[in-house]
Amino acid sequence: MAIICICRGSKSGGRRLAECLSARLDYPILGREVLQEAAAALGVPAEMLERKMADRPSLWGRFSSMRRAYVVAVQAALAERAASGNLVYHGLSGGLLMRGAPVVFCVRLIAPMESRVRVVREETGMTAAEARGYIRELDASRSRWVEVMYGEDIMDPALYDLVVNLVSLTVEGGCAVVTRAIQGPEFSVDEDVLARLEDFRLACQVKLALAGDVELRALELDAEAEGGTVVISGEVPLRKSGRTGDRIVELARGVAGVRQIRLRVEWFDPYP
Amino acid sequence: MAIITISRGSLSGGRRVAECLCDRLDCPCLADEVLQNAARKLEVSEGAVRGKFETAPGLWSRLSRERERYVLAVQTALAEACTEGDLVYHGLAGQFLLRGLPAVLRVRLIAPLEMRIGALRAADREMSRQAAEDFIRNVDRDRERRVRSMYGLDVEDPALYDLTVNLRSLSLDAACAAIAEAAAQPAFRIGETERARHQAFAAECRQRLEESLSGD
Repeated sequence: MAIICICRGSKSGGRRLAECLSARLDYPILGREVLQEAAAALGVPAEMLERKMADRPSLWGRFSSMRRAYVVAVQAALAERAASGNLVYHGLSGGLLMRGAPVVFCVRLIAPMESRVRVVREETGMTAAEARGYIRELDASRSRWVEVMYGEDIMDPALYDLVVNLVSLTVEGGCAVVTRAIQGPEFSVDEDVLARLEDFRLACQVKLALAGDVELRALELDAEAEGGTVVISGEVPLRKSGRTGDRIVELARGVAGVRQIRLRVEWFDPYP
Repeated sequence: MAIITISRGSLSGGRRVAECLCDRLDCPCLADEVLQNAARKLEVSEGAVRGKFETAPGLWSRLSRERERYVLAVQTALAEACTEGDLVYHGLAGQFLLRGLPAVLRVRLIAPLEMRIGALRAADREMSRQAAEDFIRNVDRDRERRVRSMYGLDVEDPALYDLTVNLRSLSLDAACAAIAEAAAQPAFRIGETERARHQAFAAECRQRLEESLSGD
């Protein structure tokens, strides 16, 4: 069992690989639907969230509190679905969103530009030049998104466990290779792995609760969980009332499954 | 079954993965043997051939006839080995020497720096962590420069390979199993057509080498 995250350029066969893996391994499959689940959790329209996740952010966009809230919401929705230890995810940034969780297997699929152009032309009727421009624009947008949000180069093979090039291999061939790669003990799911996945899910839910709050949204708070104990870290403005800390604890305590909360925040004076 | 070339950074587990594949697929495992055959063809030492591959050429020597002849000799030795059928080659520049040939599975192995440092220090217990890191970075930089200089390509570019396998989370056995699965795919089967192409390629390499040798 494993949580397989597929990353690819647009029109590179990612959906077909996901469907093949899901059928072969009998794992649930998740794609863009995760955005709807995230939007529902935040109470915003799915179209808006989808746009924010796809748009190329500016450098300052990374620090936009709403954009961070959207990313946290998508991460929480994905972690929820991944908690059982088997999933094929072919939506945005799976490997980065699941970073730190166990049994995650990241695959990058690359395909020759010509075959991608052919798919776009069949679907849209564009000319070859238009299709090529469209693909380049989408690739650049995704690449920029990952660079700004995570400081990573989406093309760096070190981000993935496996890169499959469809220049010679077929999607079915890639599917067989991935299936074989995850058969080893490093991807077996036991009680310990399930507990760590539950910790990851719980931490994501706490981050979502904090990011969904108007007062706390602007803060870059992080959460880690172990056995129901949640450690919250980040920089928090010091106010005389001390209300910010209380609010963090109150919201985290409201998340089902949280047993204990430890605040490891760094207080700073907002009006030095 | 297929001809498999394995490219990797130093101490990235390439030899062990290659040996695992050869055991699993019951086929020859080649690296230094190809250089030795090339050296025999050129009537020079194996070290001389290796030297031409392992040092980045200067700007003016990039296209020197001598270097070209050495590369051609290695290419010929490898092409001749390929006419025998399935094999795993984990020596130098396999993905470039067999470029364009059918039924060749091109694999790149990568491993986290820490893992590679650990492997080097396990082999040489006297070596400090910093010395090991410097050594690996230097070897990588030389290799990267050499490939860019000789072929105009980035050795790390995953588009040059059919599979890039990261040993960060995959064990050697799992990597071996995944590569063997890829090699079993129809695109890499050696049928009559592919065998004929391999033989024609070997003959072409031999002829070019003979012309190069007789040109002096």
